[in-house]
Amino acid sequence: MTTVQTTPPPRLPVRAKAAARHRGWGGVSPMLTRLAEERATGVLVRERGTLHLAGGRVVHAESPAAPGLDVLLTARGTLDPDTWRQALTETGDRHRAGHLLADGGHLAPGALEVCRLVALYDAAYFALAPSSSPGRFRYAGDDGPGCPCPVPVAAVERETLRRRDLLHRIWPDPATDEAPLVRAHRPASPTPTARQRAVLERLDDVRTAADIARDLGRPAFHILVDLRRLAAAGVVAPRPRDPAPIPPSVPMPVPVPLPPHLPMSAPEVTDPHITLLLRLRDALEAL
Amino acid sequence: MANTETALKEALASIEGATGVALVDYTSGMALGTLGGGKTFDLNVAAAGNTDVVRSKMRTMEHLGLKAQIEDILITLSDQYHLIRLISGRGGNGLFLYLVLDAKRANLAMARHQLRKIEEDLEV
Repeated sequence: MTTVQTTPPPRLPVRAKAAARHRGWGGVSPMLTRLAEERATGVLVRERGTLHLAGGRVVHAESPAAPGLDVLLTARGTLDPDTWRQALTETGDRHRAGHLLADGGHLAPGALEVCRLVALYDAAYFALAPSSSPGRFRYAGDDGPGCPCPVPVAAVERETLRRRDLLHRIWPDPATDEAPLVRAHRPASPTPTARQRAVLERLDDVRTAADIARDLGRPAFHILVDLRRLAAAGVVAPRPRDPAPIPPSVPMPVPVPLPPHLPMSAPEVTDPHITLLLRLRDALEAL
Repeated sequence: MANTETALKEALASIEGATGVALVDYTSGMALGTLGGGKTFDLNVAAAGNTDVVRSKMRTMEHLGLKAQIEDILITLSDQYHLIRLISGRGGNGLFLYLVLDAKRANLAMARHQLRKIEEDLEV
């Protein structure tokens, strides 16, 4: 009996994924990991936000890109803005204000807890984004904001990485995360969901994802998710740096989200077929 | 009025056959709280994956032009039930409760009823 031995096929060449380098596997910030190990108390200041630690655990996070707890609580009528302001004046601190309102029956404890966690992870996502400058840590003597519900650093790091990966899977081009956005009119665009419609209504060539999040009182990461989905569908694009005058004979200009590796001088393409091919190429490259 | 931890504890303790429960934010796929599940069933993975189930059903409803709200979604396995209860809180945070039940021990009608009650107590 002869056995036919087949050699395994040679490995296909794999394109080096540029994005994988930025994903930061093995921890989002070595400094944060070290601070957690030494159970540090204080404030970690990074390029895009701050993390407040108490005993090596995260008690609070802030970022200019993410709306705070107060915005999330008051935007959709969970809490009256005046009640919040009054509690803030009495306590002088967002955490204590929240707990005061929950104790006073103005706010359900579950609602406070959910909004607080959502706001914390939301701001931490931006604070822990890859940065060009190193972070600084200011040690503090006491336990910082007195909060009975701290979050382990490992959980924040894991969630931040998961979120980066989720966005990358939806649409690999991060251009819509920070740039001012425009609505790209595409023939036969898919029907957006109610939440996506609210985002689309706020696109005005000026607002960024962070502005829209604050406007709608929704977590900024949720807006990023919606925008990446809309970018993948070709409905939203970052505003072109140098908008070329559009000849009136072209009825439907279709701006393309430029992939980061293309030089900025690449000609603006408006032919729907070419746009489709470019989007298809981007999607295939991202696989 | 309950915080998430007590609500999850109550779900696991009072619902017959419950083996795991999670409170999930369905836009980000993050589990805001989990209880049970054990080593063989990672509730964080289940939470993230089931957001696609919820999103897909919501899209279909929009395409069909159905205005009604989804109360819950039941997934029946040969030995388990997975029950997804969407939370229609004032905050409109877009959350759902995810409940894993042992099919042999669970009483489905009772579990749905109790999960609704837990959602009301949570007040998110």
